[in-house]
Amino acid sequence: MNNLRALGTRPWIWGFAAAALVWLAILAISGQGGGQTVSLALSLAPYLVIVGLGQMLVITAGPGNIDVSVAPIISLAGFVSVATAAATGSATAGIVAGIGVGLAVAVVSTVAILGLSVPPIIATLAAGLVASSVTLSLADGFAAVPDPGLRHLLNLRPAGVPLLAVAVAAVTALVVALLRRTVYGRSLIAVGQNRRAAERAGVPVARIIATTYLASGALAGLTGSLLAAYIAPSADLGTRYLLDSVAVVVIGGTLISGGRAVPVGVWGAALFFILLDGLVNLVGWSTAAQNLLKGGLVLLVLFLAGGGDRATGTPSLFRRRPRPAAATLTTTGENTHG
Amino acid sequence: MHVDRSPAEPLAAPRGAEAEQGAPDRQPVVLARGVTKTYGRTRALAGVDLEVRAGEVLGLVGHNGAGKSTLMRVLAGLEACDEGTVAVRGRDASGEAGPRAAAFRGVRMAYQETSLCPDLTVAENIWVSSRHCLPRLRWRRAAGEAARRRLDEMFPGHKVTPRDRIEDLSLAQRQMVEIARASLVDRLDLLILDEPTESLGPDAARSLYDYVRALTARGVAVLLISHRIREVLSVADRVAVLRDGAVIAERPAAGLGEHDVLTLMGAQVAARTEDERVRAATAGSGDRPVTAELRGATGPGLRDVSVRVGAGEVVGLAGLAGQGQQEVLERLWHPVRRDTRVHGTRAYVPGDRQRSGVLPLWTVAENLIVTAMRGIARRGLRRPAEEGAVVRDWVERLAVRGGPDAAMTELSGGNQQKVIVARAFASAAEIVLLDDPFRGVDVHTKTDLYRLIRQEAARGRSVVWYSSENAEMVHCDRVYVLRAGQVVAELTGEEISEERIIAVSFAEVGGVTETGGAGAARSRDGGVPSHG
Amino acid sequence: MAELLAPALPTRARMRRTAPAAVSAVALVAMIAVCASLQSDVLTVAGLSLVLSATVPLVIAAQAQMTLMSVGDIDLGIGTFVGLVTVVAATSLVSSPVTGVLILLGLVAAYAVLGTLVHLRRVPSLIATLGASFVWLGLGLFILPTPGGTTPEWLAAFGTWQPAGFPAPLLPILLVAALVYLLTARSALGVRMRALGSNPVALERAGLRPLAARAIAYAAAGALGVLSGLVLASQTGGGDVSSASSYTLMTVAAVILGGGSFQGGGAVPWGVAIGGVTLGLVSVVLSLLDVPTTMQSAVQGLIVLAVLAGRVVVGKVLR
Repeated sequence: MNNLRALGTRPWIWGFAAAALVWLAILAISGQGGGQTVSLALSLAPYLVIVGLGQMLVITAGPGNIDVSVAPIISLAGFVSVATAAATGSATAGIVAGIGVGLAVAVVSTVAILGLSVPPIIATLAAGLVASSVTLSLADGFAAVPDPGLRHLLNLRPAGVPLLAVAVAAVTALVVALLRRTVYGRSLIAVGQNRRAAERAGVPVARIIATTYLASGALAGLTGSLLAAYIAPSADLGTRYLLDSVAVVVIGGTLISGGRAVPVGVWGAALFFILLDGLVNLVGWSTAAQNLLKGGLVLLVLFLAGGGDRATGTPSLFRRRPRPAAATLTTTGENTHG
Repeated sequence: MHVDRSPAEPLAAPRGAEAEQGAPDRQPVVLARGVTKTYGRTRALAGVDLEVRAGEVLGLVGHNGAGKSTLMRVLAGLEACDEGTVAVRGRDASGEAGPRAAAFRGVRMAYQETSLCPDLTVAENIWVSSRHCLPRLRWRRAAGEAARRRLDEMFPGHKVTPRDRIEDLSLAQRQMVEIARASLVDRLDLLILDEPTESLGPDAARSLYDYVRALTARGVAVLLISHRIREVLSVADRVAVLRDGAVIAERPAAGLGEHDVLTLMGAQVAARTEDERVRAATAGSGDRPVTAELRGATGPGLRDVSVRVGAGEVVGLAGLAGQGQQEVLERLWHPVRRDTRVHGTRAYVPGDRQRSGVLPLWTVAENLIVTAMRGIARRGLRRPAEEGAVVRDWVERLAVRGGPDAAMTELSGGNQQKVIVARAFASAAEIVLLDDPFRGVDVHTKTDLYRLIRQEAARGRSVVWYSSENAEMVHCDRVYVLRAGQVVAELTGEEISEERIIAVSFAEVGGVTETGGAGAARSRDGGVPSHG
Repeated sequence: MAELLAPALPTRARMRRTAPAAVSAVALVAMIAVCASLQSDVLTVAGLSLVLSATVPLVIAAQAQMTLMSVGDIDLGIGTFVGLVTVVAATSLVSSPVTGVLILLGLVAAYAVLGTLVHLRRVPSLIATLGASFVWLGLGLFILPTPGGTTPEWLAAFGTWQPAGFPAPLLPILLVAALVYLLTARSALGVRMRALGSNPVALERAGLRPLAARAIAYAAAGALGVLSGLVLASQTGGGDVSSASSYTLMTVAAVILGGGSFQGGGAVPWGVAIGGVTLGLVSVVLSLLDVPTTMQSAVQGLIVLAVLAGRVVVGKVLR
């Protein structure tokens, strides 16, 4: 019973547990290369984790907050970053340019959200549309190739552990610290729990929301830059990252209704997704099955976890948010509301 | 077209006979016996006995938080009572309370904040609430026709058409539609009117009461709730006084004066201790530097309000709920207009804990420190050690049960409120705004918090304190009493007493017809009334 | 003062409400004029049919979106759902019509279930429909991994139907708008749905169940989505699950252009018809103006933002 309760307070465990299960299934079916599978998953997951962390921050800001511009940002940042790197000869300049692209698109959404009170979904969709137009015009006759140095770096796997995974793990730790140890992080979580209460408690809500969308845009831009160097820039480089980023956040244990972020859970869910792709490929299922599985999983987790705070309504059976008993444990939990 | 048919014909004859005799023993339409209702730790109703008889107007008066709104909801069958019985037409109906209960179909209520859908037309709103009595086909025309006819009867010259959307109507017109909506049912037994004239003009109010008399002549019972005592006395046959969740007096309206009712309502003179008197006297004397000021502030819900707050002063905002006090606080919290000047940092203590106070996923410590954190942090980084010290200090000072690591939702309302008050005072804010924060808080907690407020004021902080509990206002140095968005009295030192505030806040202001923004702002969410 | 203003209020409010649709209508006329000046045979019956036909499925899908927005929800899966319907139309509906019809009915039922779950589990419709969109996509790819198939003859016949005297696409646009108008604006069911979006407390107090209203709204949206997919399939002559993925934003934008809002409570089927046609014509005008196709989505995104910005301004002016 106690163990069950502990599981409830550590929602990130589910992602890792599911990932481990899928890994075992792969091992059982292919009968070889368990370590290699993990190594491969670790080299693919970080991209999803970076964009997922940004999406997590946005979703943590409370009901209605979602960033659907991440997919077009990734595609656009890929082209811009590769082009910049090719033009300047510096991979760093390329990455900075990619992040800059993400920030620029996020500025458009932020202005629309805060200045024109456009709902976030529409604001980010519209900003994303503009970005995808730019992407399409760039893609026309695009000749530059990704920086070989950066690609080499991204492929580096000393002792089977991809360098990028280590770097992104560090980034994740930074996000954990950001949410726990900084004024911004605490303010974001307060806004997500109860926007009115946060405003009355003196939290500058608009500034927090703006920062959050900008952070999400920048992280998506970073993902695009790295992904383009790793694979190759293409117009639909980011397409799959829209639902995937939302899904890893939801499966990772972050509250959909806001106010509780679980950065570590994003890792577990991302590994799960990557391994699931591997498993589906191994068994020879199509992309159809992948989509069905992912969509079904998101819906399952969503409906099991139950949600928001519509004024009336009965308490949910499978509620995973901390009830009083759980909340006392938060200081030891990995989730950052403690 | 049976919606506005007059009430059941067979019953009309015997009732008429009774009316001729002026019989005091007419049969009760709704009868409540020993009704109690508790929300969490607040006992809203503590054993109410009340009967409303056919063909009479019963006036119900009581001050903020006396339990009027709860009683109304129980009588209308919207909520079940915890103990006791509610009988409609002699049949015990308390077991089947709920919005779909058939037993309560003849009991209809016009809400003060209206129960209309703003995006729907008048006719559609009538359908929502009276669909049982409308034909299945061509209901729109029938509903519109019924609404128009009823509005014509009640409020000649209303200028409302059935195709108007509610959001396009003025506040007064919305109230008219709400009253008409409530009265439209095939067999009306009891019509409950909750503050019906608050946003109506004098002419509309007069024609409404004419209609009420016509209704009672037909044997319908009417329950009238109003802060306007004189109005109640002139319309009602009997008056029931509600205090602390119980009916403490039931009198015939004839021969009853406004002053008698006010006395019954709880002008029990607050026993101020000698200590407090002395403090108030000394506090009121000196000329303090002004830290915040409203000069002739006018806008939604406010009319030419001037308020001055000195350093180290506790300024009260009193009066009936929703008369502009919160708008004053809002101006001070967001001083964007030119008529408001604020020198210094501010902190806000919200009254509605659940909606705008508690951060539900956090512990006591986290809830407490969220405001002060900004001042303590260096370059955006928190300093846990310093924060911890502040939290421990405040948890100890206010004796918050459960300690700093308890989950906020585990705490009782009173302890939650302590944390939220501590949140504001733990910050370095020079001005603390209190938005009726002690509603439903137990006496011990209140006493602690009153002491805290005086202590902090003595340290030079300014406190602006809106309270719906007039007895609390004795802890202030100066009190502004608001009515219809205007300051109707400024009381200082000795003058501050519950009796005085009640008397002043019920005073009718000349030409109070439209209170404007306060109601308009609330009308959309349509939630339960904020007081009672 | 207030008494004086009272009679003036409704007209002003009505103006504010119809302003978006009116602006869209003006834009629509302007765009047709531009088309006509560039290509004079646009104004013939055949020309108008050609120009309008592309907008029909979009307008119908927008009506589905409007139905959901009237209860205060939003559908991010409508694009792939329409795509899935085209796939079903191009496969099962041809091979065995009965199975095809059953599948389509099942899809409508799935929407109703989705609405019920959204209500009972109190989850944001935003994320639920986003998740569902991947289920639709998966199903579509499962049935038809690559675009193709052929539509039933009767559907193809409808797609190529060319009556004399009036442009054929007008018929479905007006018919569906009238149907949705009857359902959401005139019927008692519609009142329930809009009451749910407008003031759920009042709905509850009156003893009406909000769950039923939401489930019905979702079912209606599903049915309209099926209709939209069938029309799209009749025009393209095949099935492609991602052929309508742009509809997701476009339908929301069409509702906004037509005067709808995100808060729920309103039903603007005629405005949505105008808004949808306007939005659909943007690409026609842009291609006639030789604007590269790559810029079309940017222009659409900017139009949506501009309209919303304009509304903020109009709202302030008309207050």
